[in-house]
Amino acid sequence: MKRLAGRRGLVALIALAAAAPSLFAQGPDPLAKLDTAGRALVRSLVDSARAEGLPSEPVLSKAQEGVAKHAPNPAIARAVRTVFLSLRQARNTLGPKASRDELTAAAAALQAGIPASALADLRASGHGKSITVPLVVLADLVTRGVPRDMASHTILQLWMGGAGDADLLGLPKAVEQDIVSGAAPGDALVNRARTIPIRLPPAKVPE
Amino acid sequence: MTESERDPNVEWIAREARRPVESSAGVRARVMDAVRSTPLPVRPRRGMGWLTAPRPLALSPLGSTLLAAGLVGIGLLLGLAVTNRDGRLPTEQPTAVAATAQLPVHDTLQVHRFELEAPHASRVALVGDFNNWSLAATPMTRSADGTAWTVTVKLPAGRHVYAFVVDGAKGSKWVPDPAALRAPDDGFGTANSVVLIGQGSAT
Amino acid sequence: MTDDAADVRRVLSGDVEAYAALVDRYYDQCARYAVRMLGNRDDAEDALQATFLRAYRALGRYQERDKFSAWLYRILVNQCRSLAARRSQHERVFVREEAALLNAADEREAGWTGEDEEFVQRVLSELDPLLREAFLLKYIEELSYEEMAALTGVGVSALKMRVKRACDRLRERWELIKHD
Repeated sequence: MKRLAGRRGLVALIALAAAAPSLFAQGPDPLAKLDTAGRALVRSLVDSARAEGLPSEPVLSKAQEGVAKHAPNPAIARAVRTVFLSLRQARNTLGPKASRDELTAAAAALQAGIPASALADLRASGHGKSITVPLVVLADLVTRGVPRDMASHTILQLWMGGAGDADLLGLPKAVEQDIVSGAAPGDALVNRARTIPIRLPPAKVPE
Repeated sequence: MTESERDPNVEWIAREARRPVESSAGVRARVMDAVRSTPLPVRPRRGMGWLTAPRPLALSPLGSTLLAAGLVGIGLLLGLAVTNRDGRLPTEQPTAVAATAQLPVHDTLQVHRFELEAPHASRVALVGDFNNWSLAATPMTRSADGTAWTVTVKLPAGRHVYAFVVDGAKGSKWVPDPAALRAPDDGFGTANSVVLIGQGSAT
Repeated sequence: MTDDAADVRRVLSGDVEAYAALVDRYYDQCARYAVRMLGNRDDAEDALQATFLRAYRALGRYQERDKFSAWLYRILVNQCRSLAARRSQHERVFVREEAALLNAADEREAGWTGEDEEFVQRVLSELDPLLREAFLLKYIEELSYEEMAALTGVGVSALKMRVKRACDRLRERWELIKHD
């Protein structure tokens, strides 16, 4: 052990202990900077999420995000509540078999203002496939300015027509290029969507 | 690592087992109830004789220095200098504590490269739900020609939300990834990006 | 100073409620280990309660240069061992309702939707407890072998052998169950 003198040595020793990486991945509490009420809220929402069978990490993650972004405590509380409520609504809309990614993507879509009916339509489209990709693309497009109803309708049509994940995932970049060139977002989407080959939905869509 | 340990089915079991379990607040409440009616724990006292008796092995150089300097309270000194519960010397602490905080490598992880063009930045960090939004966890490296910042990370399959924090002359800025899918408003006035790992054809 | 060390100090100087912060910080992680190790939530809750109470009473012996999580886990691992020894040999499979509460599996594992948790728990419960413990510490808690040795008091080579055997058994079990 090094010879460290006096109080500085003590401080250095403690600093050394604090600097050593966490034994476990999770480590010390990242929410330490949140106020007491905020932590209590996060804890209770995490508990409720678990009790309701919802993913709880997004709730915690949103709080961590708010702390990292130095957001005021009321904004963090509001954001955390929003995440929880939209996850709950996502589960109510998509059903108990929804995967974690579908739920978080659906929650984000709901937060972007996409109506729950659009989500239900995607789910009911008859495919067995995960709807995570269309949900993520839908939320992206709306965030870029495509009107919600137009985005929902277009994505649903493409999805029901058997458009693949790759085709859908290519839309945001293409739409963005057109927007940058001066097109209205809705027009850009409609034009680009036309280039994706789809077929009339048959009775059974092959995966 | 043996063949079995690399076996994808075993890895799948490990991955599933790593999922959090549902837990109620009941146990926590019961623990705190019990704790409140339990006497307050105290640091073990060995009596004054311990301090003055010669025990060169038990008292580390730091401990004896501090004791001599009279700068530290007895409780704290005991905490620092006494041998640990197993009777081993403090210097025998397991060195394993210095394990680096790496992402687990035996989950089904995919390698993903993040890149941002930011020629005037002094520092860029990748921050997202996969590193608890920690600014320190995933610093990015400047490319050789200085125009771009990159980092390669192993991420589990699924949807992840992230952004970059760019330090420049005017301070820190949160920026989304211009090449990636957009997440809706984060609730804090900055924009995030979404990456889908392992689904469809990813980003 | 770490948050853990600060909270411990607070408790020792009389702020009992500060212990709640420590419990909150580590409860979920400990719960996961306890449930996986013991196979059912009731036993896990007993072990968790005992662990945190024991940790509280022993808090005066915690030394700040140690990782609090490692110190806590030593208690947890021992509590799980004692409880398993006390309880009957017949182990209950993970409660069905909890499997239903968890998310459906990744679509690639479509054959197991909603029952992954049960399957995993069942297959883990079939492992000899020492093998299961080693497997969980290595692959769920993701400790190094040195950390595991410090925590369990077992030698590194013995632990490596246990982990390897656990993986062998799990692979065999999978092969069998897959063909049910």
